[in-house]
Amino acid sequence: MTAELLRGAEAIGLAALMSGVEAYFGYPITPSSEIMEFMASEQGDPRFPRYRAFVQASSEVEAVSMLMGAGAAGHLAMTATSGPGLSLMAEGISHAYVAEIPFLIVDVNRGGPGLGTTEPEQSDYLFVTRSLGHGGSRAIVLAPEGVGEAMELVNRGFRLAFEYRIPVVILTDAIVVHMRETVDVPELRPVLDGVPPWAVRGKRGRGTRNALTTGFLDSRELKEFKEGLERKWRRISEREAYYECHMCDDAEVIYVAFGISARVAAEAVRELRGRGTAAGLFRPITLAPFPSGALARLRGRGIRFVVMEMNEGQMYRDVREALGPDEDVEPIPMMGGIVTRSEVS
Amino acid sequence: MGAEVRQAKRIGLLYDGRASTFCPGCEHGLLLKLIARALEELGVADRAVMVGTVGCSSLGYLLFDSDFVQAPHGRAPAVMAGIKLVEPDAVVFAIQGDGDALSIGLQELLYAADRGIPMTIFMYNNMTFGMTGGQMAPTTIPGMRTTTTPRGRDVKLSGSPIDACRLLSAIDGPAYLRRAILAPRPLRVKGKIFYSAREALEAYRIVLNAFRAQLKGGFSFVEFVGTCNVNWRMGIDESKAFVHEVGAKYFPPGLCRDIYGLEGGGKV
Ligand SMILES: Cc1ncc(C[n+]2csc(CCOP(=O)(O)OP(=O)(O)O)c2C)c(N)n1
Ligand code: SF4
Repeated sequence: MTAELLRGAEAIGLAALMSGVEAYFGYPITPSSEIMEFMASEQGDPRFPRYRAFVQASSEVEAVSMLMGAGAAGHLAMTATSGPGLSLMAEGISHAYVAEIPFLIVDVNRGGPGLGTTEPEQSDYLFVTRSLGHGGSRAIVLAPEGVGEAMELVNRGFRLAFEYRIPVVILTDAIVVHMRETVDVPELRPVLDGVPPWAVRGKRGRGTRNALTTGFLDSRELKEFKEGLERKWRRISEREAYYECHMCDDAEVIYVAFGISARVAAEAVRELRGRGTAAGLFRPITLAPFPSGALARLRGRGIRFVVMEMNEGQMYRDVREALGPDEDVEPIPMMGGIVTRSEVS
Repeated sequence: MGAEVRQAKRIGLLYDGRASTFCPGCEHGLLLKLIARALEELGVADRAVMVGTVGCSSLGYLLFDSDFVQAPHGRAPAVMAGIKLVEPDAVVFAIQGDGDALSIGLQELLYAADRGIPMTIFMYNNMTFGMTGGQMAPTTIPGMRTTTTPRGRDVKLSGSPIDACRLLSAIDGPAYLRRAILAPRPLRVKGKIFYSAREALEAYRIVLNAFRAQLKGGFSFVEFVGTCNVNWRMGIDESKAFVHEVGAKYFPPGLCRDIYGLEGGGKV
């Protein structure tokens, strides 16, 4: 590991390149464009010979469809976008989910709905975790708390995308993407060695063809296929729900927060500890699957849970569901991305 | 297309004996067959990737034994670009409907063409949305009745037919642009109807050229004007005659672009 001062956007791009990304297809939108610009500047970098395709698409619809193509062909492909663009990408994500096509989308959450603001919010939470696209489609969602973790999660995101053949979303915000941090640059390995056996690239001597379809001839066929997808999702939920529990052992108050809010919450924890209050932080790293099991293990200890998020209280529902009706859970919604001291403490 | 499937035994890319998903009298089956044969003749069947569109041609993949990925409605050109940019050796093609290509997917088509990404698109222009039951398409000709233009297409309200070849001619990206009539002309000989073989033979040479253009590194687009007797509510022979007598006025066959000179100066 080497320590480097990196901007979030650059770190995310670098992590993707180290993971062996081959294609970047995107459409500019604040506050995600720096990632795209970095990827544009990296074309032809001799350190990353696998990286060979960059296209500024004509819309997010086109970009996500290109991701479908490159992913279907068994290659690592990514984009970065923000709310209005993510709405347009929902079409491709739904299709990719059922066709089991892997790719990575970095959603740099801005204020929403509509055009909202270009300031940070975490208001895409419900959209990305509940059902990204029609028909009950899903994605794995990872939320880094800072630049260093963003690098690891980009790599892990690609790994999960290809291991489970599913779209993966990194949910982050303008603070993480624009801030410079000194990070220990992790040694990330290329995710793929060789062509996945399901890749759509021509039979090339294979006896049977590979066909990735999203349409079904009848309800029974669809039902069976979706049952398979649900089994896969259960497997993902059992194995890939990540979280961090910081100073939880003796805590009387536990903040539940993700991404950049968790950084703020960690600060509050330090302050409260300084004042003699046993505070802790539970930080989901995967938002989907949500680490409900780990959170539920904290039940029955008389802990006061405080759910802090930069939206109107979207994750609160998941926390309440995991903890049940008897726990003391208080939401701190911070809309418009404005975090005030009084709200936090 | 049942009979055609049975005949197709010799054609390696076509599955034999599967029930066709196309209505009798439709040229979709013929087009699939020409594509299969062209890929074989060019020796690239093993590298072929069909990208599924949304429309009547979408179930054609059940009859066609190449690698396949389904695109959302209208997005096939973008999916094809995604494949081609990371798998340049693949021979990527799609059969789009006129609604898929010119209505919901016009932007994807235009930008794939503009970038000149090597790929081959066949647009089956049947002047209607076939799969969804015969609604108006961008190509519906003025006055033509559809389920959403019950009094005939009114150009003041719904615009005029979009000429895909002329539209794409306006940009530099495409290498090969061509329109042809796929429906065989019905010929009456001694009171009996025979179908001319000319259209299919010409279409075959055009399909070959379209793939040749991709193999040379170009973007190729072919508009085939075909029938949809079911939604036009016409008899099969009548629908084929309609394409030649009326359709051809709005969609005249011809070459719009051929940067590699595949047609030897304009003649097929
Ligand atoms: C996003 C979306 N909108 C609408 C549809 C419904 N739909 C399916 S096929 C089709 C039109 C197909 O017409 P065309 O492309 O001309 O092909 P044809 O069936 O005539 O061959 C429509 C509107 C869809 N599948 N997806
Ligand atoms: S609906 Fe029309 S275009 Fe579609 S298969 Fe039937 S005849 Fe052909």
